[in-house]
Amino acid sequence: MRASASNKTSLCSALLCCFLIGLLPTISHADTPVLNVVERFGVEVKNAEFTLQGDSYVLSADIDYRLSTRAKEALKSGVPLYWDIHIKTLQQRDYFWNKTLVNTGIRYRIQYHALLNMYRVRNEGAGDVTNFSKLSAALDSMSTIRAFRVMDTATYAPGERYAASIKVTLDRDALPLPLRPIAYVNPQWYLSSDWTLWPLTK
Amino acid sequence: MAFDKIKPPISLSILVLFGLILLLLQLMSSATQESSELSAMYSWLLLVNALGSVVLLGLVGANIYSLARQLKKREAGSRLTTRMVSLFVVLALAPAVIVFYFSMQFLHQGIDSWFNVEIDRAMEDALELSQASLDQRMRWHLRQTQQLTSRLVDSPETLVTLEMENLRQLSGASEMTLFSRQGRIMASSSINPSDILPSLPDEHVWLQLRRNTEFVALAPVREDELMIRVIVTVKTREPQYLQALYPVPIRIADLADSVEFAFVRYQEMNFLRDSLKLSFSLTLSLVLLMSLLAAIWVAFISIRNIIAPVKALVKGTQAVASGHYDRDLPVTAQDDLGFLVESFNEMTHRIARASAATRMAGIEVENQRAYLETILANLTAGVISFDTVYKIRTANQAAYRIFHVHVNQFVGRTLLELVQSYTELAEPLKSIQRLLEQADDIWQQRIAFLGPNGRQELLCRGTPLFSQEGLRVGAVVVFDDVTDLIQAQKNAAWGEVARRLAHEIKNPLTPIQLSAERLQHKLADKLNDIDAGILQRSTTTIVQQVEAMKEMVDDFSEYAKPSKKQTVDIDLPRLVQEVLALYVLKSGVKFKADYDTGLLMVKGDPVSIRQVLHNLIKNALEAIDGKGLIEISLHRVQKNNTDFIEIAIYDDGPGIKDEQIEQIFEPYVTTKARGTGLGLAIVKKIIEEHGGAIWVDTSRRLPGTAEVSQSIGNRCDKVGAGFIIQLPACNF
Repeated sequence: MRASASNKTSLCSALLCCFLIGLLPTISHADTPVLNVVERFGVEVKNAEFTLQGDSYVLSADIDYRLSTRAKEALKSGVPLYWDIHIKTLQQRDYFWNKTLVNTGIRYRIQYHALLNMYRVRNEGAGDVTNFSKLSAALDSMSTIRAFRVMDTATYAPGERYAASIKVTLDRDALPLPLRPIAYVNPQWYLSSDWTLWPLTK
Repeated sequence: MAFDKIKPPISLSILVLFGLILLLLQLMSSATQESSELSAMYSWLLLVNALGSVVLLGLVGANIYSLARQLKKREAGSRLTTRMVSLFVVLALAPAVIVFYFSMQFLHQGIDSWFNVEIDRAMEDALELSQASLDQRMRWHLRQTQQLTSRLVDSPETLVTLEMENLRQLSGASEMTLFSRQGRIMASSSINPSDILPSLPDEHVWLQLRRNTEFVALAPVREDELMIRVIVTVKTREPQYLQALYPVPIRIADLADSVEFAFVRYQEMNFLRDSLKLSFSLTLSLVLLMSLLAAIWVAFISIRNIIAPVKALVKGTQAVASGHYDRDLPVTAQDDLGFLVESFNEMTHRIARASAATRMAGIEVENQRAYLETILANLTAGVISFDTVYKIRTANQAAYRIFHVHVNQFVGRTLLELVQSYTELAEPLKSIQRLLEQADDIWQQRIAFLGPNGRQELLCRGTPLFSQEGLRVGAVVVFDDVTDLIQAQKNAAWGEVARRLAHEIKNPLTPIQLSAERLQHKLADKLNDIDAGILQRSTTTIVQQVEAMKEMVDDFSEYAKPSKKQTVDIDLPRLVQEVLALYVLKSGVKFKADYDTGLLMVKGDPVSIRQVLHNLIKNALEAIDGKGLIEISLHRVQKNNTDFIEIAIYDDGPGIKDEQIEQIFEPYVTTKARGTGLGLAIVKKIIEEHGGAIWVDTSRRLPGTAEVSQSIGNRCDKVGAGFIIQLPACNF
């Protein structure tokens, strides 16, 4: 269910991108602050590995979140940002599509609270809420994944090749409505990481 | 027709399309409202509308392109369509653009009016106020907690837990925990006894604590519950930390929440101001673009429908102009244009009927003409028609047969032009021309000339043609080759004369001869020698003359009786050889025979043919006077698709005078002192009875003498004479 929703979203995103890029090339320029220094932003998956813990495979990953100026501004203005960490395990097949064994993920919401002057990170799945007085601390809390149970060893058949992949995306469709079209065309909002794929060994 | 019924009317489709567009635009507009359930679909709706616009743009583009092509090709109705579409676009675009412009203005001003410095400051102040209020409360709680620590310092370690409970109840804290320096829980008390594990401060808090010895902060314990977390250092021998969690009164928390919500909302809106403007503008532009494009597209369709009958009319007119009357234009509507199309159809039908009638009449005339032509072609008489300047308009096959000139050579030329090409026809053609020019009425004339087959006699009858106004428009000449007819008439007449003469003359001749002989016999002895001599001479004369007369009468009867008695295949070379064998002994005459190889056979009576040869050879011998050359040749020739054997006999005698050539085959025409003049007449009769022809070959002259013979006319010494006979050959 989540997978299809995410696929739909990405398809929609792609199509909307195409249209907006074609129709309104001015949006991005209108909204991009003029920067003298080349700003580095985006999300990167630093380390990711699967380890066997009992009869389950668990994921440990370190993610580096670097928000763009625009994203930071939005966050500071009270706009909540939703992050999806997509985790997939695939069975690799030579003459056919790779088979997706597990498709799971973690969804975080990060929001600024003006009253407390705090950043609040909420794990949407588990419902945990944590407050941080600094943005970096809040991002750090989202960046470390430890012992996230992904799948049982039972699904692992000997003789087959498996791979795990991870990707972090900013859910642009969860942004406030007026921001959405811009988020699809302004590179400042291209914060999602690429898929990180690595072979899974027993 | 059935398909048309099933197909929904185009106006319905357009209505449905417009409904769909309106629905989409309404959905998108609704989605713009943040609270709407549709907001999740905003991107999709935006995309669908954008795609719709692109599709409409494509449709309009395709229509414009096709119109441009039609315009370039100057197709029917394209200019009218262009004018109407341009008018519509201008009419639709102008108000839409004006409304769009002012809407944008209002939109931008409206959004800008939400934000101003006062509200901005008020919001910040409100937030600051709440923060100050909470801050004051925190400080108060801090002080309170610090005061409480003094009591903890004094209390013994074993009683700490108990003291904690007291302190908590005293201070009104919801939870109180004592941590060791290392962060270990030493004692804890909670308002809720079920909470075993107290709320633990995080690393930041510890860090701050070690630096400042005290810590106070608002802590959202659960998502909707605000707590004031106070941690102070208990100054015992080994430092300890006391954490107290004070609940914020619900009213204050609510107020703070409300202020924060408003502030955040305002901040967010302020941040999104440009995006909001853009988003609304985008929606508005899409609405305008889509409705305009849809309107233009529908305009194209409607205009095309309106123009269709005009286009059909133009095409129909072009078709009629180029002679196609079978176009039936479809009547699509019962309006003025429909009426026009109906009238046009009626008109084309009438023209088609009229043209069909004309065509039928033409065919009728053509049939009539062909019929007449067939009759004319099959007439034995030659018919030639002339126009006003005596150029030949038509000539039939018989004319060709008579003149031996192909009909194609006739048409479009005058007779005098023909004379130059066919000199042998000069005489009759000139005569006809002269008669044509002279006669104002029907004329008839016999014209004799020497054709390639000998003497020919034509009976010409000319009729000038007049138009209804009495103007002369040409003439028709009908002519018949009467050569054979006249000859036959002559022959018949001569045959009758000969038969009668023979009968009337031969009867008294025998008594005259017998009487003369009797006179001689009876009186010879009774007379003296002188008288007897006279008698002798007279009776001898009488008897000789009677004999001569008898011979003559025999010749006549020979000429009169039919010669073709029996018909066998005759080998001509052999016959000629046999005949020549009788003459070769004649001294002083040289014979030269020349035959084609192969069979030269004719069908006929061998006795008659033999007589023909005898007569001609005798004639030649007499002409050369027993001294000279006689040539006989036999050839196979083809004439009018029939094989003929041509027998040519030439001598090198004095020749035949021109004026004699015309009558040489008639009885009693002779140039010789002795002779009945029947020899050649009999020859001609026999040949004609065998289906052949004989004529004097005037073309053959001895070398070097031709000009002399022409210049000196009658004196034709040593030009020689030739006869040509053509007999139908036997085909095996």
